[in-house]
Amino acid sequence: MQRSPVVAFLIVLSLLHVIALGRATEERRLLPKADGSAYVIPGSLIKITALEFDGLASDIMFLRALLFMGSTYERKETPRVKSWEWKWFYDTLTASTDIDPYFLDPYLLGNAYLTWGGGMVNEANTLLEKGSRYRDWDWTLPLYIGFNHFYFLRQNEKASMYLMHASRRPGASPILASLAAKLAYKERKTENAVIFMQEILTRTEDEDLKKYFEMRLEYLNGVLLLEKGVSRYKAKFHKVPSNLNQLVKERILMALPADPYGGTYYVDSKGIVKSTSELQLMPQ
Amino acid sequence: MNAIEAINISKEFKRGIGYKKVRALEDLNLEIHKGEVFGFLGPNGAGKSTTIKILMDLIHPNGGSASILGKDIRSVEARRSVGYLPESPYFYDYLSAEELLWFGGRAAGLTKRAIAERSEMLIDKVSLREARTRHIRTFSKGMLQRAGLALALIHDPDVVILDEPMSGLDPIGRKMVGDLLVELKSQGKTVFFSSHILTDVERFCDRVGILVAGRLRMVDSLNNLLSDGAALEDVFLREVKAAGGGIEV
Amino acid sequence: MSTLLPIALITYKEGIRNKAFFGVSLVALLLLCAGALISIMVPQEMGKAAVDMALSVISFSGLLVVFFVGINLMAKDLDRRTIYMVLSRPISRSQYIIGKFIGMLFLIVMTMLFVSLLAIILLFLLKMGYPDRFERFSWSLVLLAAFLSTLGLVLLSSLSILFASFTSASFVTSALTVVVYIIGQSLGDMKTLVETPQSFPVGISPFIVKLVQTVYYIFPNLSLFDIKMQAAHNLSPSFSYIVWTALYGLFYTCVAITLAALIFKKKEVP
Repeated sequence: MQRSPVVAFLIVLSLLHVIALGRATEERRLLPKADGSAYVIPGSLIKITALEFDGLASDIMFLRALLFMGSTYERKETPRVKSWEWKWFYDTLTASTDIDPYFLDPYLLGNAYLTWGGGMVNEANTLLEKGSRYRDWDWTLPLYIGFNHFYFLRQNEKASMYLMHASRRPGASPILASLAAKLAYKERKTENAVIFMQEILTRTEDEDLKKYFEMRLEYLNGVLLLEKGVSRYKAKFHKVPSNLNQLVKERILMALPADPYGGTYYVDSKGIVKSTSELQLMPQ
Repeated sequence: MNAIEAINISKEFKRGIGYKKVRALEDLNLEIHKGEVFGFLGPNGAGKSTTIKILMDLIHPNGGSASILGKDIRSVEARRSVGYLPESPYFYDYLSAEELLWFGGRAAGLTKRAIAERSEMLIDKVSLREARTRHIRTFSKGMLQRAGLALALIHDPDVVILDEPMSGLDPIGRKMVGDLLVELKSQGKTVFFSSHILTDVERFCDRVGILVAGRLRMVDSLNNLLSDGAALEDVFLREVKAAGGGIEV
Repeated sequence: MSTLLPIALITYKEGIRNKAFFGVSLVALLLLCAGALISIMVPQEMGKAAVDMALSVISFSGLLVVFFVGINLMAKDLDRRTIYMVLSRPISRSQYIIGKFIGMLFLIVMTMLFVSLLAIILLFLLKMGYPDRFERFSWSLVLLAAFLSTLGLVLLSSLSILFASFTSASFVTSALTVVVYIIGQSLGDMKTLVETPQSFPVGISPFIVKLVQTVYYIFPNLSLFDIKMQAAHNLSPSFSYIVWTALYGLFYTCVAITLAALIFKKKEVP
């Protein structure tokens, strides 16, 4: 066989191969995906089938959950994550931590997304409880449980209890004990939330989560500023301002803070500061 | 004391589940004298290899006993003065000929120096000098046979048992083996070898035994067998026929 | 006893010069690199994932050697009649078995040392690159885990010798060894699972529970030699755990080799 026609043939084949693969990949993206329930094998079963490679199995389960969450950012539809996908997410992290309950990342990932995004605070707490039980040297997990009870479940007593628990663990920040005490004061909700959030932020390594929390913190700081302004107005004029601009007019505030979520802060008839964005990113 | 003695050896094989048992050897009695070269003849499947493997304690007889230089074949010591070359020898692929001989010597209890001396000598004798550090998997069939011979002789055994030693060798190889047999005989060693190449047997043996279908038909000195002018081939075929055999064994 | 060393030595040389061994080393290297890349994706406890990967690759390489090289060392002897060159020497059948075992042991230890070295270098580089993600890392535990894993593999290879002593086909030896490995690794978790029925959605009959508990004492509990998770999280096992596990390995191995020697005495090599 002669050399050059064979070489030419191979080059043509390779080109066709690249083109075909590209097209097939594109087509696959448009394939209808399975909807409905996505079953996650329970951790105890995986433990057996993984033989001696449990640690690997738990790492892989975690990475699947992580990568899945990352992939949802590309989506345009709302809700961005469907309810059955949340369940899959939670089940996967549960399986991962059933196999290796000492693994920190699934707890953090689960807590970050299940609470703020999925509205599954109880599930997040279940995960965190497991982690807290095994990682008894780790003060951050009971801290997160405490925060969840405080911010989402509005159970200050429970929150205070978890914070005390956290404060007793090795290396715990001294702020925790004092924060636990402060939680007794219901009136200081936003201020406590800000302190909480700052603590959590210093513990967060992941860049995406950091931005997530920073935005929350900025929002809360805005609310705090406005709440302080509203109190000063009430003290002066014995009534709630009808409009937040009045705070600027009366020189109580220099300017109104901007809502990082793109909405507008307002004050309701009872004097509570809220925002039109409801802590969700508004369309531009 | 005889070099090799077998008394009423019998061996049965089961071909598989549901098959009949095969009598490979029946009441074999054999005496090999010290210093002689004995040729063990027989058609394919007669039981020659079986006999040799029983002597080497590779397979166990159903009945009877055997000894080499007075030691029971079931004991380890019996093999100390025996050199064995199996039919179509195989060795570990990744050893060199030198390492093979080192192993053979050490396993027989030789000192390092003795091994070194005898190795050198044997490697030259079997003409493996150039290939001595190459891995055995590169060896040709003839080279394997020669390496096997060297291994069989590394510990200077008094009894040498060879199973079809000339098989697969080219004329040069055959000459080498032949010369070796003569040399062993001149050193007073006992040589027991099986073959179905009659010319080899004629050339080297003092005595001959003919095995057909598991039974030893005849044992005699070569001179006696050929005294009436018959060729060994005739004697052989006559015995095979008398055993009721033709081609099918 | 001086005959044990030559047998062990040629067995070891044959194993280590085998092309398959080279292949296993290459696979180990590739897997380590892939594992390193994957562990980088774990945001907080990269150290835990890196240790998981490293120890898994070490164990897996050892397994590959046992299955593809180790078993061959015995099975080839029987399949390809290379056993003649050994059994024709003035050595007993038991010496053959023990010598073979020691040779396999050398081979496994060498493999584990080599792959562990590669893994340690990789872990060292990762730790240097991302020190704050390696908070709970312990060199001594990683080495201990590799050591225990080696013991487990030695036990497994002694069983493969036991199987080779009575089977006639090398395939059967391999298959039996694989089955024993799988059962041995799952046994610990199985026993825990059947003894705490609430962890599993389906009900388990008491007969199964008894069965598993009995089988537990017959089959080797290989999961005892697996402390990867403890190493990954710097949770030291107690000294007595290590001692008892090592003793268990020693006893079980001795039993297996003794049985193998007894069985092999009767075996015919036609």
